[in-house]
Amino acid sequence: MNNNTAEPSETMIEMIKVSKLYPPDVVALKDVSISVAVGEMFFIIGMSGAGKTTLLKLISSMEPPTKGLIEISGNPIHQLKGFKLARLRQKIGVAYQDFKLLADRTTAENIAISMEVSYKKPSIIRKRVKDLLAQLNLTDKHNTITCELSRGEQQRVTLARAIANSPTMILVDEPTGNLDATTTEKVMQLLTKCNKSGATIVIATHDDSIYRHTSHRIMELREGRTHAIVGGNGT
Amino acid sequence: MSFWVTVIRQVGRNLRQTWGSQLMTLLTVSLSVLIFAFFYLIYTNMLSLGDKLGDDLTLIVYLEEEPGPELQQQLIKKITTFDEVEDIRFISSAMAYERFAGQLGQNEDVLDDMPKDFLPPSIEVIPLKNLRSLNQVKLFSAYLAKLPGTLKVQYGQEWVERFYYFTKLLSIVVLLSGTLLILTTIFMVAYTIRLTILGRQDELELLKLVGATNNYIRIPFLLEGLLQGILGSTIGITALYTLFHWIKLRFSGPGLLNLFEFSFFSPIVSMSIIGVSILLCTLGSYSTMHKFLRI
Repeated sequence: MNNNTAEPSETMIEMIKVSKLYPPDVVALKDVSISVAVGEMFFIIGMSGAGKTTLLKLISSMEPPTKGLIEISGNPIHQLKGFKLARLRQKIGVAYQDFKLLADRTTAENIAISMEVSYKKPSIIRKRVKDLLAQLNLTDKHNTITCELSRGEQQRVTLARAIANSPTMILVDEPTGNLDATTTEKVMQLLTKCNKSGATIVIATHDDSIYRHTSHRIMELREGRTHAIVGGNGT
Repeated sequence: MSFWVTVIRQVGRNLRQTWGSQLMTLLTVSLSVLIFAFFYLIYTNMLSLGDKLGDDLTLIVYLEEEPGPELQQQLIKKITTFDEVEDIRFISSAMAYERFAGQLGQNEDVLDDMPKDFLPPSIEVIPLKNLRSLNQVKLFSAYLAKLPGTLKVQYGQEWVERFYYFTKLLSIVVLLSGTLLILTTIFMVAYTIRLTILGRQDELELLKLVGATNNYIRIPFLLEGLLQGILGSTIGITALYTLFHWIKLRFSGPGLLNLFEFSFFSPIVSMSIIGVSILLCTLGSYSTMHKFLRI
């Protein structure tokens, strides 16, 4: 993050007319504009292929936009490089749809990786990993190699890694895709807890059970375009 | 956790993951250092031997007849016209006879029937220490041969020439083994680091995404090369030192090796070889990182 420490009323994500094209001519996103405030929980919904994952990839600077401007806490993210970009990424926790777990490492090591890059003390890392595993019902999987975990367990480990470093923004792609109802509730409780402690949460999902009764804003994407933004103060 | 603790843990992980190729690289680096240092050691010892022999270099000019005092002065003047010399000694036939008799020792009596002047008179010319190259000695010898009344000039031409060509050959071998050292260390280390990078592509990708800095990702690879250099060259030099002492002990009896005083590298030279090897290995790791590690 830069020196402009974000205040609660400030904007965390600013996207103006953002488009993403994949060669040869696949339009993943077209002129998407959104503004997400600091500390907001924001849902992105839509069918498979609507552009949800692409949007998260652009916000997390995994990929550059073809057109348009993306700012995180006032920083044009695709112009950042080197140390500044690394520092910003440390403040963004991402739970990827394809998990991106290191298959030959234990659950604890996978979660610890996001804290190690910001040089947290080993004792703090150990404690945080234990706490997160307990909250996600994975205590007994502490030393299990992640390739031996079920899909649901892997999904929870991914989420634990995303929130382990106490980021100011958490991007979650299909957090409940492989989970039962009880675990889904636990995951949502954890994300709500993070949100209450100040983190901005962006959840991309097609599971209506997690946003059906929400008071937070929901953006629907259809074929890469913003179809509607509902909820929040504007409802 | 401090930056260096984290980085060292990463290095440990890399080494564990690719220990097979790491071991092969370590052996190759050690062997290259050993081969280069072995030839370099022989070369430096030969050079110091050459220096030592050069100190005793004397050109003997055999004369038709003993020169009188006036001719001696003229000859000295002629000799020093070519170059300054350290010493010029005139040896009369009688002095040569006495010297020869002394060299024969108990067998001196073989000379009983010989006339005292059967050996030709000569001039012993000791050149300055800066007259070291074979060509200069040859030129000086040719000049002396043209002096009036000279029969022939001797300075152990054949031996000196052989020694000179031997040290020339050694210098080529040293150059070749040096090139081998450079190529093997750079390429082997580069290849191993490349394997590590390719084997850890997923992890490196993830590290970038969770906010690892460029140094966090790059430094472990640099350290890996550095470590290969430190261990490889130290093993190579230590092996050569052990071999050197074993040979010295094994062949310490009367023999060819005992004629010369062989010595191992000075600590500065040993450290320089280790330092250069470390530099080469780090360079190998840096070049691969630059090529394959896109951050």
